[in-house]
Amino acid sequence: MIVAQQKPLEEIKTLIGDARKVLVVGCGTCVTVCFAGGGRQAAIMAASLRIASRMEGYERTVTDVTVHRQCEWEYLDEIAERVAGADVVLSLGCGVGVQAMAERFPNAWVVPGLNTGFLGLPTEHGVWAERCAACGNCVLGLTGGICPIARCSKSLLNGPCGHSKDGHCEVDKDIPCGWQLIYDRLSSMGKLERLLEVQPPMNWRASRNGGPRKIVRKDLRIGPEEE
Amino acid sequence: MPGGCHYLEGNTNALRRVKSIQELLPQIGLEPERVRMFHMSAAMANEFVAAATEMVRQVSALGPNPLRISPVCLTDNRRGG
Repeated sequence: MIVAQQKPLEEIKTLIGDARKVLVVGCGTCVTVCFAGGGRQAAIMAASLRIASRMEGYERTVTDVTVHRQCEWEYLDEIAERVAGADVVLSLGCGVGVQAMAERFPNAWVVPGLNTGFLGLPTEHGVWAERCAACGNCVLGLTGGICPIARCSKSLLNGPCGHSKDGHCEVDKDIPCGWQLIYDRLSSMGKLERLLEVQPPMNWRASRNGGPRKIVRKDLRIGPEEE
Repeated sequence: MPGGCHYLEGNTNALRRVKSIQELLPQIGLEPERVRMFHMSAAMANEFVAAATEMVRQVSALGPNPLRISPVCLTDNRRGG
């Protein structure tokens, strides 16, 4: 999932500025399950902003709504009327959700209520950890299902650096060395020989180095045939 | 008591939530002292009275909830636009 967390309320109040009508928009997918921007968080955010406004003696209407997925325009159309009536739309979606709203509603001023963190999973209650860097060139089949791009601080492809110590990363002792994890897993599965294959340099053009990315599935396109 | 909850760790989980609310309150302009959690069992009547008395004293010193006396309406128009 996409993991995010709420911005400090002070920053959000600055982003909202002196808007009289604020619409808080939650999202029902990733940010719901990481407790950052789902329906409950949108309601709490709206209530917090209402109280804060009243305490400051500022008259402001703050309402909230949560859509199924903020990252798909068809779900945004359901709230078009409410967006049109707002001076500021505070999105509690990830960075994709904020931009989907801004693209779909060109006349709306959309601001982010979250800081989008990473692609990860909950490892225990209240703890989320990064697992995928969306590099566009998956090597998990070589490394026993443990990503050297996301789990190694230096994204090395051919083993650990010289500063892996007692299974921990030099960047932070609380970070397990990604390559230690890979070694331990391949060892436990009797597949250590896979590490003997030298990997060529990573093609980073499939990652951010090639600029903004796009996937086109011709089999899913509709309408007249394209050239 | 901490760790002695009928729901095992229920009261220690609740304490984390209360601390979270205590952090939120000053951000929206209210005193964090308005919310507090006391641990006690159902058999601790004297402790309950002491906690309630202390809380009344504390909240009385803070004064009435300012939201009730603020001149601006607290609009909750969740279905509207």
